[in-house]
Amino acid sequence: MLGKLLKKIFLADLFQGLWVTFRNQNPKYIYTEQYPAERPKVAERYRGAPRLNINPDNGETLCISCNLCALACPEALIVVTSQRNETTKRKELTTFTYDTSRCMFCGLCEDACPVDALELTQDFEMATYTREGQIWDRQMLEEGPEPTQYKC
Amino acid sequence: MPDSTFLDSTELVLNMGPQHPSTHGVLRVILKLDGEKVLGTECIIGYLHRGVEKIAENRTYAQFNPYVDRMDYVAAVSNGLGYCLAVEKLLNVEAPPRAQAVRVILTELNRIASHLLWLGTHALDIGAITPVFYCFREREEALKIFEKYCGARLTTHAFRIGGLLYETYDGFEQDVRDFCDMFLPKVDEYEELLTNNRIWVGRLKNVGVLNAEECKEYGVTGPVLRAAGVKWDIRKAQPYSGYEKYEFEIPTAQNGDTYDRYIVRMQEMRQSVRIMRQAVAAIPEGPIMGKVGKVIKPAVGEAYVSIEAPKGELGYYIVSDGSTQPYRCRVRPPSFVNLQALDRMIRGGLIADVVAVIGTLDIVLGEVDR
Amino acid sequence: MADEQKPGGSQAPPPEGGAAPKAPAKPPPDAAAKAAPKPAAAAHAAPPKPPATMAATPWDGDLARELKERFGDGIAQTSTYLGQNFIVAKPDAAIPVLEYLKLEADFDYLVDITAVDWPKRPERFDLVYIVYSFSRNERVRIKTYIADGFQPETAVGVHLTANWLEREVFDMFGIEFAGHPDMRRILLPEEWQGYPLRKENSILLQDQRWVQENLGIESGQ
Repeated sequence: MLGKLLKKIFLADLFQGLWVTFRNQNPKYIYTEQYPAERPKVAERYRGAPRLNINPDNGETLCISCNLCALACPEALIVVTSQRNETTKRKELTTFTYDTSRCMFCGLCEDACPVDALELTQDFEMATYTREGQIWDRQMLEEGPEPTQYKC
Repeated sequence: MPDSTFLDSTELVLNMGPQHPSTHGVLRVILKLDGEKVLGTECIIGYLHRGVEKIAENRTYAQFNPYVDRMDYVAAVSNGLGYCLAVEKLLNVEAPPRAQAVRVILTELNRIASHLLWLGTHALDIGAITPVFYCFREREEALKIFEKYCGARLTTHAFRIGGLLYETYDGFEQDVRDFCDMFLPKVDEYEELLTNNRIWVGRLKNVGVLNAEECKEYGVTGPVLRAAGVKWDIRKAQPYSGYEKYEFEIPTAQNGDTYDRYIVRMQEMRQSVRIMRQAVAAIPEGPIMGKVGKVIKPAVGEAYVSIEAPKGELGYYIVSDGSTQPYRCRVRPPSFVNLQALDRMIRGGLIADVVAVIGTLDIVLGEVDR
Repeated sequence: MADEQKPGGSQAPPPEGGAAPKAPAKPPPDAAAKAAPKPAAAAHAAPPKPPATMAATPWDGDLARELKERFGDGIAQTSTYLGQNFIVAKPDAAIPVLEYLKLEADFDYLVDITAVDWPKRPERFDLVYIVYSFSRNERVRIKTYIADGFQPETAVGVHLTANWLEREVFDMFGIEFAGHPDMRRILLPEEWQGYPLRKENSILLQDQRWVQENLGIESGQ
């Protein structure tokens, strides 16, 4: 009884909470990531900016214009045009338009691609100044966004 | 001077508008007050209505999967689980045991993440500023596991119809075990901060009482129902995805006030860790995808499947007409139904308690409005 | 069992569905099974197939029998599909059935009220109530078929949850519930015209007049 009364008068429960806070003041517990000086290391499977991969051996695009990514997309924001090459009798990719402003980065296009040409990379810095800049054409997709890097 | 002006009446109608830091989203509550006492409330919702059910009728089953995460955006994995289970029921397939075990692990991790966010924001609304930082620090660890597994932290799109798409990454089991070991002492830390704190108890005890009868009348489920004393959890009553294999308890409390809901959710976090430990110790080997065709075309029919989402009973009622797109996909959102009880809970309380009660119901407007 | 149903009038087979980015190593049993009956039918130059219906089997449990005894004509059919029991009741019998289930059979929790629009039927709406009993751990669906313009009785007298659930059904489908204490829109703005979830409204439906008056822009699209 007396114990409880003393605890009540001397604010024991409040000090218990305060002790937790003081304990966490140790600088080694600082969890903040100092962006942009420290960039986060995102996971390998991170679904970031789309990229059209290029065959490293001959510098040509891996895309075979099968249009599966466009069919898979829930938002129908991929437009693939191609023309038929008479000599090899295959389709050749001409333009590939990807609207990142409507993209929800669900990864269905990446999963649908049979040749791993379309991939969602680890880039997440895709800001642009205009709405039109968010619609990426083939060149932008192959090079990827190149944000200005700020170094302290 | 006119005979009577509005200054003579004792009732004040106050608008707690859609833009408010404590309404957990765009919720508009019109309060009728007598001084500080609340005489009645009216909730106006629909500010985040995106027409998800109509979208479902225009997308194929697999294409609709990413949209489902965006309803309860705080606990996206649970939404995905409910939807995949409902479509699998229509197709009459079951995910293989390995997929089920990984689904359980991710769903429980998701439950912890959702409760952490709840605790942080609820404490912040009441006025305790420290817990939100600690809770988000732990949530960060859980989100890192999601990111490594499926590539996204918030709108995960983790599950596919029939099982999983991604195999678990190298180090998944170790990461989950490390998380479990790291997390339980942190729950103790939150309890040290809050549970016996006289300010916390004073703000939460006997506020927003909803007893068991009223809960059932209003169709309220989830921790709110369990805090009223009803020991009911869909994971035990109608197990899905292999939950019958794991041993865990259903925490309940007696009074059904806000403090009890806090206790119930803290206990649920501990039980989730228990389930995760059991699941990760025994993930079976095998395929991760069930026998589902390339094109998902369920037979004509309908099914209602519900799961225990962190917020309550999340149900999907899908009607199929034999084509590749759902004919009707109805989502039964726990937050929508729980929010109805706000009026009953807050009558006679003080205006400061309105914020506490909205917080304790754990609503997410994305789910209320869809 | 339900796989023999050939969906009548459905669109073209698999090539249309690139939209299923599945992991490798899954055999397509559904596609194969459905492709098999097609050549046979084509070879016969078959008469138009009747539209496929749900392969529901009759449900004969105790509850079904009690309900049939009590309500007789009011219950059109009691069936089960994929292990989930449902009954089809006449529109006037829906609320008495709910009341009976709550008071006599202990189904005290109304899980959901929703509707489905089948525009080609004369009774175009399927009004669905789902109830659950804690003590029996059982869920039952009650469906009624109502026509456009019919005003079903409100369930608020039986379960208080029905308040917002019926408001949402009204908002999305335009089914008004007679006797509801507060029948107005819940998710869409009050003055909005149009009922989005009806099948004649495409996904691009918007109340252009409301958008222009209240938001000051030409269109939301």
